[in-house]
Amino acid sequence: MKITQLITAGITGLTLLIAGCTKEPINQLSAEESRIYTSSYDSTIHFSDYKTFSIADSVTVIDNSGNAKTLTASDAAYIDAVKKYMIQRGYVQVANDQTPDIGININRIYQTATGLVDYTDYYGNYGGYFDPYYWGYGGYGYYVPYNYGIYQITEGLVSIDMFDLKNAATKGKINLMWNGLARGTGIFNSSNADAGVQTLFSQSPYLTTVQ
Amino acid sequence: MLVLVTACFAFSGTVIAQTKPILFGLNYNYAAPLGGFKSDVISNGSARGFSGSFMYPVNKKWQLGLSAGFQDFYQKYPRDIYTTGNHETTSAVLSNSIQIIPVLAKATYLPMGNSNTFIQPYISAASGISLVDFRQYLGEFGSNSSNAVFTVQAGAGITMPFKRGKDAGLDIGAGYNYVGYQKFGINNLNHLTANVGVHFPLR
Repeated sequence: MKITQLITAGITGLTLLIAGCTKEPINQLSAEESRIYTSSYDSTIHFSDYKTFSIADSVTVIDNSGNAKTLTASDAAYIDAVKKYMIQRGYVQVANDQTPDIGININRIYQTATGLVDYTDYYGNYGGYFDPYYWGYGGYGYYVPYNYGIYQITEGLVSIDMFDLKNAATKGKINLMWNGLARGTGIFNSSNADAGVQTLFSQSPYLTTVQ
Repeated sequence: MLVLVTACFAFSGTVIAQTKPILFGLNYNYAAPLGGFKSDVISNGSARGFSGSFMYPVNKKWQLGLSAGFQDFYQKYPRDIYTTGNHETTSAVLSNSIQIIPVLAKATYLPMGNSNTFIQPYISAASGISLVDFRQYLGEFGSNSSNAVFTVQAGAGITMPFKRGKDAGLDIGAGYNYVGYQKFGINNLNHLTANVGVHFPLR
């Protein structure tokens, strides 16, 4: 009995000792440091061949219960920031019915049933997302031409998707050409939207054109 | 906190050998990464470590036994852009966190063990495995990998009794640790340790 108690006390003490001597990385992060921004693109695309863009006027919220379009202060901040940095990169904003070269959707994605969002299926079943008809290409399907990863969702993420509308009629589909993801603490605060979008554009120097 | 800091003092066994009971030692360790570990993974020294041992005094010069320990390494790098896939980049604060738990067979030699010198120098050698837990975070998003790897340790220092002729005493030393971790392009997790601690007989 005494030996058992000693062993139990020893193991408990050692566990506390190790825990006390370990610096937990997440506890050392500020909210800003917790956020990550990932951008990816279709390497076959020459972004300078595209001159105009249009951005959806609301944000699609995707969660376990389905999806819906909203326009919160945070959503508006992301839309404004994307407009701002696209224009800074030389693109001209036009209405969605003026045959833009690039169509931009913004989505907020929250915890899914599996905890995973597979971007290869993301637009395969766009359902309530922005219908291709919105861009003037009713009947066409969205297509992800390159390999997106599978992301584990903890708090949710903001996804910014750019689609190739310029070649949609030729190819018979709407290809994804660029994606930006913002993840981490505070991404849904409107005050963080501009800095997040700026970071995504900064790490995408190829995303530029000249009129 | 004081309890935890105090508890971080751990053990290693080195003492003037007699035909006496097994010696139990506790040491506090400070560790400094070397080579590729320092340049590619974590350059910060670690003040978060401890070690301990049970040593059997074979004679006045030799002790044989078992040693185990714990060392926590951590470093946070400022925000930068990393390639995370084909045509994919991620802007993130990167954190590396490594915990090493060596479990080693150890031999200690006291060259002046037959004399009555109060301060006894010693050298030691140990070999075994280390359990290595490597966690890497981009922002708050992490992954981890745990492995057992071959480890060799060589050390030197001094040991002295609290009172002349007594078995309990103080140890001060330093050691070189080869930790054969080879994953993610890392060749090893070699590091130097400095230790201070106490030893006492188990009766």
